[in-house]
Amino acid sequence: MTTWLWILGALYLGGLVFATLGARSQSHSSDDFMMAGSDLGFIVGCLTVAATLFSTFTLLGMPDFFRTHGVGAWIFLAVSDTALAFVIIWFGAHLRRRAKEHDFQGIAGLMRSIYGSRWAGYVYLAGIFIFLVPYVAIQIRGIGIFMNATFPDFLPVWGWSILIVAVMLTYSELGGLKAIIYADAIQGVILMTVALVIAYGCISHFGSISAMFSEVRATNEALLSTPGPKGLLSTQFLLASFLVIILVPITQPQMTTRLVIMRDLKSMHRMAVMLGLFAIVLILAIVPIGMYGAAKYAELPTSEFLSRALIHDQAPIIAAAVAIGLIAAAISTADSLLFALGSELRSMLSGDEKTVMRYTKGAIVFFALLALVVAILSNDQLVLLARVSFAGTAILAPFILAALLSRRAPGPELIVATALGLALFLGSVTQAIPDTLNWVSMGLSLRLDLALLMGLSLFTLISLGVRSACAKQPSALSAGSN
Amino acid sequence: MKRSNSLAWKLCCLGAFTLSLLTFTPLVISTNTTGPMLGGLPHTLWSSILVSLALVALTFIGTLVHPGEQADDQGDA
Repeated sequence: MTTWLWILGALYLGGLVFATLGARSQSHSSDDFMMAGSDLGFIVGCLTVAATLFSTFTLLGMPDFFRTHGVGAWIFLAVSDTALAFVIIWFGAHLRRRAKEHDFQGIAGLMRSIYGSRWAGYVYLAGIFIFLVPYVAIQIRGIGIFMNATFPDFLPVWGWSILIVAVMLTYSELGGLKAIIYADAIQGVILMTVALVIAYGCISHFGSISAMFSEVRATNEALLSTPGPKGLLSTQFLLASFLVIILVPITQPQMTTRLVIMRDLKSMHRMAVMLGLFAIVLILAIVPIGMYGAAKYAELPTSEFLSRALIHDQAPIIAAAVAIGLIAAAISTADSLLFALGSELRSMLSGDEKTVMRYTKGAIVFFALLALVVAILSNDQLVLLARVSFAGTAILAPFILAALLSRRAPGPELIVATALGLALFLGSVTQAIPDTLNWVSMGLSLRLDLALLMGLSLFTLISLGVRSACAKQPSALSAGSN
Repeated sequence: MKRSNSLAWKLCCLGAFTLSLLTFTPLVISTNTTGPMLGGLPHTLWSSILVSLALVALTFIGTLVHPGEQADDQGDA
């Protein structure tokens, strides 16, 4: 396997160098560097969005999620991702229209421009910074743990983490967003190929799909229904997860940037359909890997299960491709997020272009180093931590939608309410306040993330409604007096 | 033509919303029940796979009738 690892690793690195040099030669301005020329076709567009969306936790977290919590995990990820594809065609058109009107450089700058207040940009920046830096850290740490479990004599977890951050920073600082997009496309192809090959091997192990589920039923029948053996996948949990995932194209900057830089609306539409299909095929491939683990490695800890199912039980070339694919997945998701954070900061800066770019590049390095520190210090709850990050950014959705969909500038009360919502959610994550609202006398309970999302949506509707009514009133009065 | 597209687009949105809602009803989420099985797949899995396929189909139809497509012919939406 080591020989294959060197060969495939060299090919991957060669691909990255080629992508970086190609991107660098096409980059003639800071806009080319930050926005990849705004000319993305649908195939590369789909691969880069998929690579950003399907991070390491798809190949590491999701098989373990299916193994531990059963088939309800399909709703958690696949139903949400296919609904997300629909959200892209609905939201993307509105976003692209507003982006054209306001010289888009990032959502933070767009919010500042539409709300007419710098604080709108700051609230957005704070929200994505607080919740996306841990998500980047999860990617880096997840792959570090996996590689360390697979090659215990090569590097410690922190060593793998540093290596990944170094590679990522090198090509993104040199080639900009286009280099990242090319690298994403390479990763998307590797991820899909590897997942399909391993899934085929897992089904072959059982003989057929029916036999696979029969064996899982014999091991633990609760895996074949919701809420799963541990009771996690309750309807409320699945609904809350669904909402936060479909809001990703609205709230997360790595997605919004990609929607804006698609060549035209038609390319974005095709990309959305292809993304939905990509999600279904990829997650269909993940199901057998999880069921294989449930039947064969039910008692093993996560890292050992993954190491055996993805590496030791595979042919050497596949095992090597998995290792490279996982590194590529971690890198592509992390670099897209870090670059997007830098891009959002840039949209809030003004002044000499060279100075702005210097600050932006410096900020990307700073965010990467911060994520590295968090990665080295954080725990191993990959999927749930990722979900918390998504839930945190989802709280920004009503605030963003109000700006993009409303004809009038929304009021500052939405900025304050959103900041308050973010603070409350952060309080629940740090356990300073409860994460569930309980009405014991009525026997009801509601997750705080769901309550915040519903509360902010309602408040936004009321605010827009009242402002719209107040704006109409003077004209009605003047029409009456005439 | 533009009006019928607009109606079709609204129907697509309604369809996607309804399908999403149905996912969280006992039609798809059958708590602690594995049957009825289909091709060896437990009920929650095959029904949610169908929902996913239907959502992609709606996305595809949505791209054909999206009102922005006509503006796109002249440049972009």
